[in-house]
Amino acid sequence: MEPLPELLLSAQTAIDRAGDLAALDQVRVLYLGKKGALTERLKELGRLPAEQRREAGQAINEAKQALETALAARKAALETAALDARLAGEAIDVTLPGRGQQPGGYHPLSRTLARIEALFARIGFTVAEGPEVEDDFRNFEALNIPPHHPARAMHDTFYFDAHTLLRTHTSPVQIRVLEQQAPPVRIIAPGRVYRCDSDLTHSPMFHQVEGLLVDEAVSFADLKGVLDDFLRHFFERDLAVRFPPLLFSVYRTLRRSRYSVRDLRRRRLPGVQAQRLAGSAGLRHGASSRIRQGRH
Amino acid sequence: MRVSEQWLRDWIDPQRSSAELAARLTMAGLEVDRIEPAAPAFEKVVVGRVVQLQPHPDADRLRVAAVDVGDAEPLQIVCGAPNVAVGMRAPTALIGAVLPGGFKIKPSKLRGVQSQGMLCSAKELGLAESSDGLLPLPADSRPGQDVRELLALDDALLEIELTPNRGDCLGMEGIAREVASIERRDFRPFPVEPVEPAVDAVFPVTLRDPADCPRYIGRVIRGVNPAAETPLWMRERLRRAGLRSLGPLVDVTNYVMLELGQPMHAFDLNRLTGGIEVRRARPEDRLELLNGVVVEPDAETLLIADHAGPLALAGIMGGEISSCTDATRDVFLESAFFAPASIAGRARRYGLQTDSSYRFERGVDAQLQRRAAERATRLLIEMAGGEPGPIIEAVSPEHLPVQPAIRLRPERIRKLLGMDVSAVEVEHILRRLGMVVAVEADGWRVIPPSSRFDITMEADLIEEIARIHGYERVPSNRPLTRLAMSPRPEAQAPLERFTETLVQRGFQEAITYSFIDPAFQKVLDPEREPLALANPISADLAVMRTSLWPGLLKALTHNQKRQQSRMRLFEHGLNFVPTADGLRQEPYLGGVAVGLALPEQWGLAKRPLDFFDLKADVEALLALTGEPEAFTWVAAPHPALHPGQSARIERAGTVVGWLGALHPRVTQILDIEGDAFIFELRLADLQAARTPVFRDLSRFPASRRDIAIVVDETVAAQAVYDCIHQRGGELLRNVYLFDVYRGKGVPEGRKSLALGLILQDFSRNLTDHIVEETVSGILAGLTEQFDATLRV
Repeated sequence: MEPLPELLLSAQTAIDRAGDLAALDQVRVLYLGKKGALTERLKELGRLPAEQRREAGQAINEAKQALETALAARKAALETAALDARLAGEAIDVTLPGRGQQPGGYHPLSRTLARIEALFARIGFTVAEGPEVEDDFRNFEALNIPPHHPARAMHDTFYFDAHTLLRTHTSPVQIRVLEQQAPPVRIIAPGRVYRCDSDLTHSPMFHQVEGLLVDEAVSFADLKGVLDDFLRHFFERDLAVRFPPLLFSVYRTLRRSRYSVRDLRRRRLPGVQAQRLAGSAGLRHGASSRIRQGRH
Repeated sequence: MRVSEQWLRDWIDPQRSSAELAARLTMAGLEVDRIEPAAPAFEKVVVGRVVQLQPHPDADRLRVAAVDVGDAEPLQIVCGAPNVAVGMRAPTALIGAVLPGGFKIKPSKLRGVQSQGMLCSAKELGLAESSDGLLPLPADSRPGQDVRELLALDDALLEIELTPNRGDCLGMEGIAREVASIERRDFRPFPVEPVEPAVDAVFPVTLRDPADCPRYIGRVIRGVNPAAETPLWMRERLRRAGLRSLGPLVDVTNYVMLELGQPMHAFDLNRLTGGIEVRRARPEDRLELLNGVVVEPDAETLLIADHAGPLALAGIMGGEISSCTDATRDVFLESAFFAPASIAGRARRYGLQTDSSYRFERGVDAQLQRRAAERATRLLIEMAGGEPGPIIEAVSPEHLPVQPAIRLRPERIRKLLGMDVSAVEVEHILRRLGMVVAVEADGWRVIPPSSRFDITMEADLIEEIARIHGYERVPSNRPLTRLAMSPRPEAQAPLERFTETLVQRGFQEAITYSFIDPAFQKVLDPEREPLALANPISADLAVMRTSLWPGLLKALTHNQKRQQSRMRLFEHGLNFVPTADGLRQEPYLGGVAVGLALPEQWGLAKRPLDFFDLKADVEALLALTGEPEAFTWVAAPHPALHPGQSARIERAGTVVGWLGALHPRVTQILDIEGDAFIFELRLADLQAARTPVFRDLSRFPASRRDIAIVVDETVAAQAVYDCIHQRGGELLRNVYLFDVYRGKGVPEGRKSLALGLILQDFSRNLTDHIVEETVSGILAGLTEQFDATLRV
């Protein structure tokens, strides 16, 4: 019978040579299985003289433990190697593009309008909308642009009949809001407007935003403040803002609107209309000049 | 209004550069659109006097001139101009001169004759569009003098965009008053001394329609010299304003219009009959205008007539028959005030837009007519002689505009502007603008000048104060206001959620015209008659859309022709649907898709888009309402859609929209490549959302049973679902359809549907028994209703 140290040595060699988990298990069976070499030794202990038994038993157990430790270590090493091999085989090119639908996008006008709306919403302006096929009264007369007024010539209006037209500006929304709502009013009116004019720099349909602030104690200085704020936040730059009174005609004509004067007087807010209309004129220009589609 | 800076500075010199002046005008509300030089750049062009003229030996049309340019020896210059004459002074480009366009003058030979320069026309100097000869220079101009200096060409023209309310600035005087106000200088109106009558010749004037024409001033001037010429300075000023010189009579009226803002007219007195009548047109009236057009004026049109018939469209254009000619010696000058409302719109009606109508439409100072007549008389006499008669004035004072006295209060200024303006400043500003300001206990009483008819109320005055004081000096405040929340109904899904969903699902937003091609409309929505524009911009943008599809499909074909084969587009906006109750303008959300189901990519087989791909997109939208089950899909025909792939989407019996494959015939007509799928939904129905309600989750496990049933092809999946839900009752939590199979093992004309049933109870564990019972109940129902068999 082979001495224990040699047995251990050959077992260790077999463990080291085991190339996979199955081979390793065969080694385990060979030495520690029911009929394994070490198991056989344990069985034979009984045949030894009593005084040798204890010592021999201890030696066998130590050898068994050493063998189990070596088996476990080898098993862990083999498992790690197997996982490494698997992972290496599963490597992918992470720079390949992802699969599936790709997102679309918004029209630049929508993005801009949404941004303007969001900024004004932060100071309590709500969005007001109105029809695009408008009546002559709300598009012109209520804004004190009677038939044949020279301002109409600048509007290049699309007509359906004598009284129905495509709105040339978003201002009729103001009229509609004031028909419905008592002050205070804080609205912006974005939307499509139409002018019968088309060339490289003019689109017959374009977008405007205008605003309306009606309250008892608002002034032209407040309008300036709101516009200043808006422009700085819209462009996210500390702009030097100029206020040339360019759209004076709208301001003037609006302000004289008999319609709205009456309306506001009825609500006993004398003098409010001027701020209201100043507000409309200024906002209209300040805000719309940036986003009007190809129209200046 | 085109303003010569030189002319303006003659009147009032702001001591500022052109750019500064323009910026200050703009900031005061007179927007300077652009600044242009009065003449293009050229140099070394001097006055030349033709001292001798000989025929060219080898060219009939050329002549050889000896030209005195101030040097010891005259220059020899070959000239082809028809009007070249001995003694004439004309611009002479010397050797080394550079004319507009970079044209350099070098010594040259013309048909063998040496030429040492060039005699120039106005066109060659960039002073006119066309010329028919040399530009004659004044007889007293000194040979050798620089022509730029002589004509004072180093001038800038300010193009001022005036708003319609500022008719007062359609003359140099009005502009000068503005500049004076802006510059805080006192303004003195142009001094006009009356011209004493030399003869007592008059011509009667009758106002038949004094509301339209409350004032008409006329004057007879006899014996003007028909051969007189307009002086150079006046011709230059006219030219710089964009007007051609047409002889002293016309030039004077135009000049006074530019100077004071009063449009005038000169009639040939000897071609007038009886007297002037200002009246509305009568049915028999016909008039040949100066431009040769014959008009038959309608009853709304105001005419200047004599006893023989119409002479002129009042305030718009004169007639041919009474116009001044080269032979005119006796003149009748007109200087009238026409009410803006009587002129507005008339010029356009006759396809005319004249300097006169432009001014009268906007309004002319009703007190200006006499000054203008005196000024024109003086200018004409200076230029062409003649003997003036007395001023003839027909006036209806009660029809003249009233100059209001307006109350102005400091606290209103403060309230409107949000700032204080000192009393001294207020008074200075208003007085410089020509207003009469009287101090009262609580403020002022202000009478604006007659030229500022646009000022009628306190707010107008405050606006003037703000404008001249400077908008930049108004503080920038933040409004103080009462905070009030605005509603945000939970049962209203915001539009952005729908658009965002589409964007995330690969759709690109489009914004297309609201007016479309009627042909597209007819193809896509033939059953509705669209609203047609009376004046469309073009035939293919002539009717208002009743659907978003025409615009989207046009965008689709446009992009397909630009190598885009896969596209997903959406748009939201109003549709315009005429109905018996009037026009309905309602917002819709629509989409079109064509090409591959997914972008071409690795690892996935290419698959063309089909109905169910787009249906998933629409279902994602419907899900945003919180109750997708409220929508039903009904197979129904639509003229634009494939009859077998067309679904009407309904919610509680209301049609919400459509989804389908574009009809192959439509595809062909619209020239679309591949199968396009389209949808459109009414936003109001889509945005009406369910407010979420809390529901407990079951603590008990769920059971799944899969069944495969065989039914006839014609059985709709929706009907199967409905039956299962009805039979499954409370316990049935969900149903998945995970396979549809036809082929081996399934009889011809039938299909197999594989369904996963999820059952769960809130109060107990489901026993196998209960599950089996429920499933067999469902199967019994399916068998009963659809003759379904269980597929094993």
